Amino acid sequence: MRKWGFRHRGGDARKTPPINNRIMTMTDAVQGEKYRIVRIDGGYRLNSRLCAMGFLPDEIFYVSGASRGGPLCVVVKGTKFAIGRGMAERIQIREI
Amino acid sequence: MMIGKEITIALSGNPNSGKTTIFNNLTGLRQHVGNYPGVTVEKKTGETKYKGYKVNVVDLPGTYSLTAYSLEEIVARNFIVNEKPDVVVDIVDSSNLERNLYLAVQLMELNTPLILAFNMTDIVKKSGKKIDISLLSELFGIPIVETVGSRGLGSDKLLEAVIKVVSSRKEKKVEVKYGEEVENEIVKIISVLKEEKALTLKFDARWIAVKLLEQDRDIIDTLKKTSGPKYSKVEEVTTRAIGHITSILRDTPEIIIADGRYGFINGALREAYEEASLKKVDISEKIDRVLTNRILGIPIFALIIWLMFQFVFTLGKYPMGWIELGFGKLSVLITEIVQQGLIRSLLVDGVIGGVGGVIIFTPNIILLFFAIALLEDSGYMARAAFVMDRIMHKIGLHGKSFIPMIIGFGCTVPAYMGSRILENRRDRLVTMHINTFMSCGARLPVYILFAGAFFPAIAGNVIFSIYLIGVVMAVIMARVLRATRFKGESEPFVMELPAYRIPTLKGILIHTWERTWMYIKKAGTVILAISILMWILFTFPMIGNNYSQDYKGQVNEIEQSYQSGEITERELDESIAAIEAKMAGERLAYSAAGRMGRFLEPVFRPLGFDWKMVVATISGIAAKEVVVSTMGTLYSIQEADGQSDSLKTALYKNYHPLVGYNFMLFTLLYFPCMAGMVIFRKEAGTKEMLFQIGYTFLLAWVVAFVVFQIGRLFI
Repeated sequence: MRKWGFRHRGGDARKTPPINNRIMTMTDAVQGEKYRIVRIDGGYRLNSRLCAMGFLPDEIFYVSGASRGGPLCVVVKGTKFAIGRGMAERIQIREI
Repeated sequence: MMIGKEITIALSGNPNSGKTTIFNNLTGLRQHVGNYPGVTVEKKTGETKYKGYKVNVVDLPGTYSLTAYSLEEIVARNFIVNEKPDVVVDIVDSSNLERNLYLAVQLMELNTPLILAFNMTDIVKKSGKKIDISLLSELFGIPIVETVGSRGLGSDKLLEAVIKVVSSRKEKKVEVKYGEEVENEIVKIISVLKEEKALTLKFDARWIAVKLLEQDRDIIDTLKKTSGPKYSKVEEVTTRAIGHITSILRDTPEIIIADGRYGFINGALREAYEEASLKKVDISEKIDRVLTNRILGIPIFALIIWLMFQFVFTLGKYPMGWIELGFGKLSVLITEIVQQGLIRSLLVDGVIGGVGGVIIFTPNIILLFFAIALLEDSGYMARAAFVMDRIMHKIGLHGKSFIPMIIGFGCTVPAYMGSRILENRRDRLVTMHINTFMSCGARLPVYILFAGAFFPAIAGNVIFSIYLIGVVMAVIMARVLRATRFKGESEPFVMELPAYRIPTLKGILIHTWERTWMYIKKAGTVILAISILMWILFTFPMIGNNYSQDYKGQVNEIEQSYQSGEITERELDESIAAIEAKMAGERLAYSAAGRMGRFLEPVFRPLGFDWKMVVATISGIAAKEVVVSTMGTLYSIQEADGQSDSLKTALYKNYHPLVGYNFMLFTLLYFPCMAGMVIFRKEAGTKEMLFQIGYTFLLAWVVAFVVFQIGRLFI
């Protein structure tokens, strides 16, 4: 929510992309909402790992919980994962 | 066709796919736990007989894929490639087909004889979904068997399928395609690879090409090693291919390839499965709302750990008492049968004292691993890591590290073994290396004695301060080790939170038994040898007649005065006991350990220690609680324990309180005991054990040095 402040301040809403196309990182996801993964930026090793666990572009997921400042609980392909914030920041997502 | 009667099958599968249960069902108790050569990845093997075949079963580590992400994955992959098992059985969680089949596809790519075991089919049936197994089997070109591991169903069908695959050996290959762009590049890489014969002997060329595109570190390193300068050509082609794919498809090859695998899986599932859906988070989700709650998560975790601690140590006290009693009786029995002398001393003080002192922890080990297996199999362990990760991450550790650290307050030996719950080697080693500082129960008698002797009014606070310093040291050293010896970016945290499940008793019991047996075996071998060595150190050279006084004459005098009625029987016993204690003290001073104490005294002088404290420290290597009885012997006090007032008085008269406190600090910081070190070696290797011994001693010395030298200025 906070991040949308500039839109009102600048007054130029036309330049802002429509909400459902905005790219953000997994850490910005609202609990319970569904999102689509756009890009994974973890380097070869981490990407392979994430893909094996089911995190790959176009995949739909939702965040089911989080510990404050700690890892997120993410459900993807019917399985729940705990995923560290550092890693979640490297996954770009958008709303669907 | 004649076929060998002995075959080897390897079990592969995702974590939480029920692989271990299937393994247990197949092999029962005929299991052997070891490590894969050169690495600390656990290797479980077992055997079974079926229709005249002797079937060796190898339980590969649970993995999500066969990339080189973790040691486990490399180990699993190398086993399949190098050892060439007759059949690989991939255990698949049928309630989560899509993701589980990802590993299956990678196994197909490896071109190894493969069978899929669709496990937990009961859950799928209950949820009303349908899998057309025979169609799926046809699409994949692989036999599929249905199993329900938790109820022991399907093992025979599985073995039947194994035999069939072994005896038919038909080469039916379904190849996964990754789309035109990638396929073109694969062909180019293969043609370069084919020029270099040495490369393709071990692996399938197509497989290597795919791995190169995925930038698999392990394969790249192997290629570099085997082909030397010729690799540069391969590298060139690969780099160009990766650039090409990335620029056209706008994603790096490893993602495109993963996408291709999932595409292949989904293509098959679309035809054979009612729906590849996302669900199955119903009951688990509700439990998680409580257990991983932002506010309740940590208190609940603390409560569970507290319960576990109580379970392990409070409940363990009773059987420990019985074992102690048993060894006590055994000592008495030996004392009666064997004549006074060296043999008796060896058996009673060396063997029973040493091995018995280790065996006595067996109930703790059993209960601890029972509790850990329960937490792991139910699915809570992953949640505990989730809840604790943020706090532990700050000191450079993993969420799960918290569990062995807590156990360390009870006994360091099971804590070392408990560190196995950490998959990452670096996390595991750091957790083990700092576990020493979580002050174990055996060190408490030492604190009670010294705090009681020097700070009787505030003993409780003094002891608490020692525990606190231990925790602070653990935190500091965790950071130091992370920044130096175990440097490197910390493993990104991602782990499955499996659906909660009711664990099977059989699984838990087998798990508990394995650990316990490993521990008992150690007590019977290495620890026995070290006990005897310690006994020799504390016994030889023998004093013979070189006592400083004529104790025998003194005893005779006292006996005479008793006979003439000058002293009572009680006085007689007391006087003789006092003389015997003095003799024991001199014997100890005369022994190799005593001499070592004198010899090493200059090293410990700057800490304020005298040779007696040095000897006690050496004896503490056997077990920390021995420090108290050694101090007692050195000060010629019979039956010394933490409550002994005469020993406390002796200490108070001989040392400054600062030295007393310093000795407690030293006892806290140097490595726990020989049983601990033996287990440390078993878990982490000789090099790490030596490092543990060296650095804890050094740290103990430095801390005690600083405290004494600074403290001295104020006295």
